[in-house]
Amino acid sequence: MKGAQFVVKALEREGVEFIFGYPGGAIMPVYDALLDSPIKHILVRHEQAAALAADGYARATGKVGVCMATSGPGATNLVTGIANAYMDSVPLVAITGQVATPLMGTDAFQEVDIFGITLPVVKHSFLVDDAADLPRTTREAFRIAQSGRPGPVLIDLPKDVANAEGDFQFYGEEASSAPEPDQESIARAAQLLQNAHRPVIYAGGGIGLAGALNEFRSFVESTRIPVISTLKGIGAIPTKHPLFLGMMGMHGTKPANHAVQACDLLICIGARFDDRATGKLAGFASGARVIHMDADASEIGKLRHADAPLVGDLKKTLGALTTTSLDGDAWRHQCLSWKEAHAWNYDAPAPGIYAPWFLKRLAQRAPENAIVACDVGQHQMWVAQHFDFARPEQHLSSGGLGTMGFGLPAAIGAQLAHPNATVINVSGDGSIMMNLQELATLRRYDLPVKIVLFDNRALGMVRQWQELFHAQRYSEVDLSDNPDFSRVAESMGIPAFRVESKAHIEDAIDRLLATPGPVLAHVVIDQMANVWPIVGPGKTNSEMMDAALQASPREARP
Amino acid sequence: MNVLTLQMRVKNEEGALLRVLSMTRRRRFDLVRLNADSSADGRFLDVRMTVQAERSGPAFVRQIEKLVDVDQVEVVKSAEADGGARAC
Repeated sequence: MKGAQFVVKALEREGVEFIFGYPGGAIMPVYDALLDSPIKHILVRHEQAAALAADGYARATGKVGVCMATSGPGATNLVTGIANAYMDSVPLVAITGQVATPLMGTDAFQEVDIFGITLPVVKHSFLVDDAADLPRTTREAFRIAQSGRPGPVLIDLPKDVANAEGDFQFYGEEASSAPEPDQESIARAAQLLQNAHRPVIYAGGGIGLAGALNEFRSFVESTRIPVISTLKGIGAIPTKHPLFLGMMGMHGTKPANHAVQACDLLICIGARFDDRATGKLAGFASGARVIHMDADASEIGKLRHADAPLVGDLKKTLGALTTTSLDGDAWRHQCLSWKEAHAWNYDAPAPGIYAPWFLKRLAQRAPENAIVACDVGQHQMWVAQHFDFARPEQHLSSGGLGTMGFGLPAAIGAQLAHPNATVINVSGDGSIMMNLQELATLRRYDLPVKIVLFDNRALGMVRQWQELFHAQRYSEVDLSDNPDFSRVAESMGIPAFRVESKAHIEDAIDRLLATPGPVLAHVVIDQMANVWPIVGPGKTNSEMMDAALQASPREARP
Repeated sequence: MNVLTLQMRVKNEEGALLRVLSMTRRRRFDLVRLNADSSADGRFLDVRMTVQAERSGPAFVRQIEKLVDVDQVEVVKSAEADGGARAC
């Protein structure tokens, strides 16, 4: 058996259903072996989309996503997707072809040191220079990608190693087990919980990654502590849950930011005090003690001291802390009062389409298990604020890296994983152009992804920042020369339609959801629409700006 | 300025030392001194490294510990200094 054939067999043994990739010279032995495999290869039109689609598949399933590319530019095109998975702790295995070992280090055609290039953005990586290492390497790659805090693993495979003949045997199982939470810290955390008057749960993406949804929800129900979340923590409890106050941080809800700033105990679960969540760190929940639960010890104390650090398996930690209801009626009442007082207002008098209202109506009419894959920008924040999610794997959003162009490939990965689910890609006119070529992939595999393209003819989030924080000095944000997106989509075999009046929102949603197969709704919105509230740079979460304080020239939203 | 001297046992695998140095630079620690010796069987590198930064030493040590190729880390010296020469 050749090394490449063994690699494919090893992937089969790991349960891989799909490989997202693009062939080329150095990876050809693996592509040859794939012809004899039940694994389905998804041919994207750019390698970046291969990594992002594998990422989307992984987020939607909890399984390892696999992407593959050839050496040189194929490998470098994967890098953004690998970094995206690294920043959001997504289990991913990236396989790159490499020039043959005798040519390595000679600046050969399509030779690049992808191992070196990706060092800062992988959980681990392997350069296989001996075919005998393939069994251990492939097994270890999958184990490392999934264990503890998940992340991307790179396997760089020289062509002569892939072609080498050998008697390969599968590598034995090596169990990974998360550390048990320290009992002394558990007792300390329990004491902090009992003594708290104003506790808040700060829920992060680690809850879903750990598969600890049930334990988390039991903890919330037993303690009745109000919950706020990070972008990636959305869905840890259903967004319609009475105790959920919304996303916190830069574009967080007012109740969430009020609660976190006023709390006396912050229970951080699977989150990392990211700057977009905390605002000015020195002023973040400054009166609070902190319980910090995480699978990754290096996150504890990185940015905020933890009074009770709980490293290890979140399921076990949450199970150990689930107690009977705490005394906190007055605080809960306060939080719920904020929630009522600051409920979203969708009363936009202008005749144009108010994107949050479009999304709210879409959320109300789409199936409850719909998956939304976002791109990055204003629309991403509107989805986080206004869509409803029952589980975190329904909300696919590039949180850490903020990768424009993530949404469409991620939707492709999610749709392949869940062929019967409604998968919606919410994008913007800036983001969609980053991976527009993947419309051809949608058509090729006839994936029924529903694309909502909000078009404000600008790089909206940058424009908003220039308006608010750069004295309206607009620099390179104008996209008024966008192509006709409907015609572009149609040229790639995707039905499309344009909608620009709020009177047509319901019809547009009908058409979007009822059209069989892929479809694109080109939704024209006001160029000056902003995402509110916003916490400005260097400000604390108490200092939220809102439309009432800083109205845009053409924005009529109360 | 926090000055840390770490003694590490690192697997002698492709890029292992690069990973340690990359993490050191990325976390904004300056390298002051570095010595690495191959173990007798060639499977490990015994690395002694002194670094300095304004940032917290314990958090940095945990970041080094989680590198897959790093088997052991021991802080052999930890001190606060007034500044000193910035290397690298």
